[in-house]
Amino acid sequence: MLSLLIKKELKEIIGSSKFVYSFAVSALLILITFYVGAKNYQINKSQYDAAVAENIRSMSGVTDWRMINHKIFLPPLPLASLVSGISNDVGRNIGMQGRGELIAKDSKYNEEPIFAVFRFLDLNFLFQIILSLFAILFCYNAINGEKERGTLRLVFSNAIPRDTFILGKVLGSTIALILPLLVPMLVGFLLLLVLGVPMSFEDWMKLFLIIVTGFLLFSVFINLSVFVSIITKNSSTSFLLLLVTWIFFVLVIPKTSVLIAGRAVNVPLIDELNTKKNQFSMQLNREHFNSLSGFRPANKDNFMQEFQQFMEKNNQARDEKTKSFNEKLNRERINRQEVQQAVALNLARISPSASFSLAASSFAGTSLNLVSNYREQADNYQKQFAKFQQEKTGMTTGGGGMMFVIRTDGDKKPPEINPAELPKFEFKPATFSAALGSGLIDIGLLVVFNIIFFAAAYLRFLKFDLR
Amino acid sequence: MNTILNEKKEFPMLEAVNLTKKYEDGLLALDNVNFKVHQGEIYAMLGGNGAGKTTTINIFLNLIEPTSGETKINGIVTHVQPLEAKKYVSFVSENVMLYPEFTALQNLDFFTRLGGKTNLTKDDYRQVLLRVGLQEDAHNKKLKGFSKGMRQKSGIAIAILKNSPTILLDEPTSGLDPKAGLEFMTLLDELRDEGKSILMSTHDIFRAKEIANTIGIMNNGKLVMQRSKAELENADLEKLYVEYMAGYMEEVA
Repeated sequence: MLSLLIKKELKEIIGSSKFVYSFAVSALLILITFYVGAKNYQINKSQYDAAVAENIRSMSGVTDWRMINHKIFLPPLPLASLVSGISNDVGRNIGMQGRGELIAKDSKYNEEPIFAVFRFLDLNFLFQIILSLFAILFCYNAINGEKERGTLRLVFSNAIPRDTFILGKVLGSTIALILPLLVPMLVGFLLLLVLGVPMSFEDWMKLFLIIVTGFLLFSVFINLSVFVSIITKNSSTSFLLLLVTWIFFVLVIPKTSVLIAGRAVNVPLIDELNTKKNQFSMQLNREHFNSLSGFRPANKDNFMQEFQQFMEKNNQARDEKTKSFNEKLNRERINRQEVQQAVALNLARISPSASFSLAASSFAGTSLNLVSNYREQADNYQKQFAKFQQEKTGMTTGGGGMMFVIRTDGDKKPPEINPAELPKFEFKPATFSAALGSGLIDIGLLVVFNIIFFAAAYLRFLKFDLR
Repeated sequence: MNTILNEKKEFPMLEAVNLTKKYEDGLLALDNVNFKVHQGEIYAMLGGNGAGKTTTINIFLNLIEPTSGETKINGIVTHVQPLEAKKYVSFVSENVMLYPEFTALQNLDFFTRLGGKTNLTKDDYRQVLLRVGLQEDAHNKKLKGFSKGMRQKSGIAIAILKNSPTILLDEPTSGLDPKAGLEFMTLLDELRDEGKSILMSTHDIFRAKEIANTIGIMNNGKLVMQRSKAELENADLEKLYVEYMAGYMEEVA
């Protein structure tokens, strides 16, 4: 009996002209998403390669490692093209110095603001906006529509248990709507291969998880729609109610959560922090200059060497103070930010759409963790770079200090540096297990949403007025 | 189920016993209604809108439960064993609305399987559709393009294919043109001859008198008159109907 009801749903949905049009639009959007994603990756990769090459080229002819203008770059991530998350808001390069604070600059949206206006078409948009509406469009009248048509009376003039009927309705609708969408998804996977997006095994696993999570969101809207079609008398009311709910889930709750968190937890502005840092730095610089008057070389013949050592010692002391002060300010800000983010994200998770968005960006490596991950790896690289500079020049650059270089080799041109000797910066995205760990709570929530809405639909239908 | 039709049943195939339905808002939709439909009989329930005809049918189908009393199909109390009782009944509504995106054949296939008939072929469906008067070129067309008459024919085809010993008809000829109405009545006559027990609610006094073995008139939830065809042979049913509906007379407790 259950299989008969499921088959009926399959035939009814797939055989309808509404499905043909909606599926055609959805399939097209899925294919465009993958195609545009792959193309964007190619563009970003070529921009990245060009930037890295330019960085190396800028060092040609330089003879002193202290004079280089070295940058590290955030490489494009294959999955970031499919779920952009915050990847386009993160600065893609960092000017590297041996010491001092690192600042990421030149985000995609900063360089190409037009993309920030409407944002990119990606899987997040597709599942959150298009496919959730697709689910509502087909299930808003699942039960009250049958009652309006009169088919419900005819069905229940037969020996059909109510629980079997509602189960068949939900399973049939879910299978009928999800199975066909897997076809363009698979074609999209092929597009990634054909267009040469270098997907590792872990990337494929993460993409698989994104799709599974997307369909969990999809089935949340199916279950919700069936439930609403039971509690409302007519299909026009259920459609309206579902649209309002959709607006709340997709737009209102996530944005309101951020707003509430912003009000509830105060995070100092970056400009305030910079002002404090600058004031402290200026104070240290004054102390530094004042200390110059106290310099007395032990051996006048060795003046420059002693002066350089004196300066280096002072620089180090000043840098340590600056670093300690900045780190304290940064840490305080980051701590406040983390509390604010936790409040915002946990509030947003009331919405299944937000849960999906958070899970998908975690799996794609484009969640808020990208910023901390990038910062942490850049900090580690800075240590390597500082060590390298120290080995090469006996000192490190950066931190806002002054450097006096007096050449003692006359007119003889020193040998050029070899940029290939620089330590390589290789950004490592979150591993599969780490991504899964951070997205697990949201997958769990989507499962819970499905259970709640299905249980609500199931229980209400047992008492439903079939007349 | 065929064995039921082959054996003459002594007990009524459809029965309402002290049937009462009072809704939560206080409306008394049915007030102690009693009637029986034996094998090979047609019982016509006459009455205006809100008389309680559809409520009676809904209780037979267990779409609602009675406040007191009971309905029985093949001796089975419908609100006690609804799934068992429904194995012995087919239903055709006033305005048959099948699945609009399905063809007539697909609708027949789904509903007959739902009714427990899983061994029927497309040829069986076609034969029954032809029997009820649905032309062959319509068999593979989607229901959304069907007229009301065509949908009624598809509905009765489903009832025939289910081959249950009892049939409930809720104003089946309402809105049909005279030709389609006549064809429908001929079909009911055939089904009675096959031994089916039919309970039909209708506004159509003349067709009811023509075809029914027993006629009951309902008014405000009460069965106010119940007479056999023989008893009505020389009576003016229309006059009786008006008088009973006006509340001048009441003969059935």
